[in-house]
Amino acid sequence: MTKVKRYHPLLMLFDLWQLLKNIFFIFIFLFIIKAGSQSLFITYGRLLFFIVCGVSFIYIILKWVTHKYGLDDRCFYLYKGILCKSERTIPFSKIQNVNRHTSLFHRMFNVTSISFETGMTGEDAAVKYEVVSKKEAERMEEFIASAVHEEAMNLSLLEMAVEKVDSNRVIHFKPMKKDILKASFTSLSFLLFIPLLLSFYSKVDDIFHVVEQTKGIFFSIIGSWWIVTTIVIVLIMASVGFGIARTFLKYGKYEISSDQDRIYITKGVLDETAFSIAKEKVQAIEIKQSILKRLLGFAEVKLTSAGSLSLGEEKLEINSLYPFLPDGRAYDMISEILPAYEVTQKMNRLPKKSLWFRVFSPSWIWMISSAALFYFKPAVLGIEQAWWIISAALLMVVVAARWLDFLHTQYILNDRFIQFKKGSLTTSLFVSKRDKVIEVKVTRNIFQKWLGLASIETINRAKPIQHNEIVDVPVDFAVSFYKWYMGRRKEIEIE
Amino acid sequence: MYPQMKGPQKRLSKDAVKVWIINETIMNVIGFLILGILLYLDFRFSWKEWIGWIIKGLIPIAVLGAVWSWINPFLLYKNWRYDVDEEFLQLKSGVINERHQLVPMTKIQSVATKQGPLLRKYGLCSVSIETMGSSHTIPALPKEIAIELRNQIAHYAKIKEVES
Repeated sequence: MTKVKRYHPLLMLFDLWQLLKNIFFIFIFLFIIKAGSQSLFITYGRLLFFIVCGVSFIYIILKWVTHKYGLDDRCFYLYKGILCKSERTIPFSKIQNVNRHTSLFHRMFNVTSISFETGMTGEDAAVKYEVVSKKEAERMEEFIASAVHEEAMNLSLLEMAVEKVDSNRVIHFKPMKKDILKASFTSLSFLLFIPLLLSFYSKVDDIFHVVEQTKGIFFSIIGSWWIVTTIVIVLIMASVGFGIARTFLKYGKYEISSDQDRIYITKGVLDETAFSIAKEKVQAIEIKQSILKRLLGFAEVKLTSAGSLSLGEEKLEINSLYPFLPDGRAYDMISEILPAYEVTQKMNRLPKKSLWFRVFSPSWIWMISSAALFYFKPAVLGIEQAWWIISAALLMVVVAARWLDFLHTQYILNDRFIQFKKGSLTTSLFVSKRDKVIEVKVTRNIFQKWLGLASIETINRAKPIQHNEIVDVPVDFAVSFYKWYMGRRKEIEIE
Repeated sequence: MYPQMKGPQKRLSKDAVKVWIINETIMNVIGFLILGILLYLDFRFSWKEWIGWIIKGLIPIAVLGAVWSWINPFLLYKNWRYDVDEEFLQLKSGVINERHQLVPMTKIQSVATKQGPLLRKYGLCSVSIETMGSSHTIPALPKEIAIELRNQIAHYAKIKEVES
């Protein structure tokens, strides 16, 4: 076991910074907005404020003095507690994925934050280092990767014969300028400029009351067509520029790489985040396509991990391989980085009868909104009969969505793999292995029984637990699905 | 039924029906008492008209619910099946919504027997099983069978799968 160490000293500064952020508004309220107030409430408030600040400050220092960590070739050992001491041991084999986040604060001091996520629930689910030097973070991540790797090697003697694997990383994807441009249009981020501008304008208006003054200018502008055109062109260019800049900051420095055992995803220009996961810990793959992405031929591949994907309160979308991959490339990349997974494009479709069943099954949304429309009979745009027109339109939308979902629904059991695809506007393809599915369920309601249909559901480890259901498959398929899952005994290794 | 699939075979205790019916009857009596009190209060203090309508609307729903709650236990008992072997826990229930569940033993985290006052009167126990992703309950088994089942599941669940 390596010697037990304290955390990085800059952690104190980081905690102080967090404290300042949290008390900033209370400070403003107590000392600036209510500066002249003599009320009892404010006086005691100020006193309390100083006490809380003092105690937090002392706590930050004591925390750094008492909290320690160490690691050997199997486990993390974490020591904490000022009065009540606690010691925690976390074996590396329970670590599901590693998240790293380098915010602006971390950049200034050339440090980073890293968290090793386990599949447990609750507060202590992760081994977190809020401030750690880059070298130490790198060292720990590599250490864990190699420790788990060795353990895996010990399991099978056959693999021992393989010569020492070089940890050379292969880079699979880095977005080019072209990709960024395409991504910024697909994500429609340029549209965000307009609400931004409007909210800015309304804020300015709140302070300076410019509406009255600008009215005159507005009418003189709208009078001459060339000024209007120039303004429109400038606005369009600004919003496109804004969209590209935003996309670049978010997806600019994307990099997907992998070595023998692990997959690494890094992204972000200002705020850097990194995600890494051992290949055998990938619980499932999901390929998502919105309608726009489908039209332009993009796909997003997500890796499901049993560990948490967020850092603190922020939810980081870090398990996604680049969200705007050309869809052919997406499938290639899966076979490149996860050779243990097979994704087939050939899948079964639902039988015709399930389309009829779906179309004719009652839609609660439609029934309730129609009842409401019938009761209130609102006249929209002065049309008295608007209520039944809206109701009919809604029914058409519902039927269309069901029809689209029917068209998109596909499924197959491919040896050890299961694949579901579904969705009306946004489609998602879910692929998992039999040994990663932790539970299955087959249900039939009375109508499905009558038509010879059934619904099947898989449960996978993730945070939160992932349920995937496909409804109205033929009952024969449901039976073979049930039997397929029973065949799980062939794959699992028993400790 | 699915002719191709051999489902689980073991059944619940026959006394389960009695327990459920007593339970439902108590619930219904409480429910009707509350409705009656509300109706009386509505009459006594002449509440707003629409409140009276809602209470009167609830009465037929409550009656239908009560009738259903006396039929349901028979259906529930008739269709509940479970089975365990070394590898899987199998559960089947429901007639209008039929549900088959297949839970690998290696994914079971904990198993417990529980007994409320009504179950105790008939010498029954319920067995609840927690897995990594969900929880299941076998509602009413004779006490000895329940304890045996609990121990058996605990024994099978001890076998550990290499987790990755």
